[in-house]
Amino acid sequence: MSAAMKVHVSAIRKVAPTIKEFILTPADGEFFPFSPGSHIVVEMQTDSKTIRNAYSLLSDPMDNRQYRIAVRLQPESRGGSEFMHHEVHEGDELTITPPNNLFSPDWRAKKHVFFAGGVGITPFMSYIPEMLRRGADFELHYMYRSTQTGAYVEALRDLIGERLHTYDSITSSRAEIADIMAHCPQGTHLYICGPESLIDTVRYRGQQTGWPASHIHYEAFAAPKPGKPFVAELKKSGKTIYVPEDQSLLEALEANEVEIPNLCRGGVCGQCRSPVLDGDIEHRDEFLSEKEKSDNRCIMPCVSRAKSSRLHLDI
Amino acid sequence: MQPVPSIKSRPVYEDIGIDPAVQKHLFIAQTGSFDKLAKLYQACPSDKSCWIVGDDTQESLPDNSRFVSQDGIDTVFGEQFADLPISSHIYVAGQNESFLWDIHNLATRAGLASEQVKMFEPVTNQRRLFCTHCYTLTEGVTHSPYECPGCGRLLLVRDHFSRIHAAYVGVIINAEDPNDIPETEELS
Repeated sequence: MSAAMKVHVSAIRKVAPTIKEFILTPADGEFFPFSPGSHIVVEMQTDSKTIRNAYSLLSDPMDNRQYRIAVRLQPESRGGSEFMHHEVHEGDELTITPPNNLFSPDWRAKKHVFFAGGVGITPFMSYIPEMLRRGADFELHYMYRSTQTGAYVEALRDLIGERLHTYDSITSSRAEIADIMAHCPQGTHLYICGPESLIDTVRYRGQQTGWPASHIHYEAFAAPKPGKPFVAELKKSGKTIYVPEDQSLLEALEANEVEIPNLCRGGVCGQCRSPVLDGDIEHRDEFLSEKEKSDNRCIMPCVSRAKSSRLHLDI
Repeated sequence: MQPVPSIKSRPVYEDIGIDPAVQKHLFIAQTGSFDKLAKLYQACPSDKSCWIVGDDTQESLPDNSRFVSQDGIDTVFGEQFADLPISSHIYVAGQNESFLWDIHNLATRAGLASEQVKMFEPVTNQRRLFCTHCYTLTEGVTHSPYECPGCGRLLLVRDHFSRIHAAYVGVIINAEDPNDIPETEELS
């Protein structure tokens, strides 16, 4: 973990039925402003393992008094969100990385259209203050289920008024994504953060209608999904490491003191790419090309796993 | 034939096809280079239009071709591009490589993505030259070294291409000894 920072949890509040917001303040020194769309990685020490999850910063990027994150409780996962919801209390100390950004707005855009699904609202919370400062043209389409998610709707309504379009699947109709995309003026950039189904829908629609792919930006929820357990053999260090079902290969390596450079921990940035000598890889990343995936010679250990029971890595 | 670039920044022009998902197609050719895109233009079934920069000196132009003078392209295409639907492609053929990239830059300034501007290999190998010493731009350069008309320096015409200037970069070739005048070579 690069240049770890200690922070205090100065406040926790519920912002939706399954989402808690955490306000983090510096334990010593001060925070730096960050760029809109940045995330931090939070380190969580459970009894048996260390979990590191990336969370978007949702505070105003120019506000260096605090960093704010929102965590949705995901019971069917590796336990990071449960830890944040149940084990972290006001006044606790946490370790985070300084902000990194893999989801920055493209400021050359003539217009910005945001699609947020559930807790996917978080990166846009940091976009909006900067968009307002710059007088940028933007609109937000926010899809949620009010019995679970839908944080910050009132605050957003006060802040951006008619530029906010909400779709509560409990009470209102669904967003007409195809229609919204068809009516975007030339020079529009789209930004999606939410579940994979939302990202897939928008990208597929883009392909079908000749939308320029480089103007569609997206960020999936970064936490790696669990899978089958396997054994990783490491050629250079000679170690043999057991990767349990609810731990990522990267986390298992780190737990065994094998440090791999990494940034996003979500299969998009390419930092943790590692060479593979033998074994079948289950690729789950968005970084490697189709050819690189079929060559079976390298793996992104932050999200990808083994299909076979063993993986031989050249690290 | 395109030269094999020895420098990464030198553009390579790929084969171009029509994407049927795209709604609107704009074909733009410099006078004398319509032939480059004629086949694709004929094969394009959907909403299309044809623009010629320069005069009508060709016989084979399609009906309803519109003409724009070279001086007018900033205004005419600047507005035209901004009004295109987001699902649009622009196809450009030119005598000079600099023309292709001037159109490309107009389009991206209007908000189009780079991948929406499809460029055909230029007809000639004439280069626009950017002098790194006095910033003069010179059109139609075909050999190296070339004397900069701005500052008089003898420039090595490099293969390094600047997309912003739509020009190749020229640097002084005899900085140590102004009497050293290397032999002239044709550019490819």
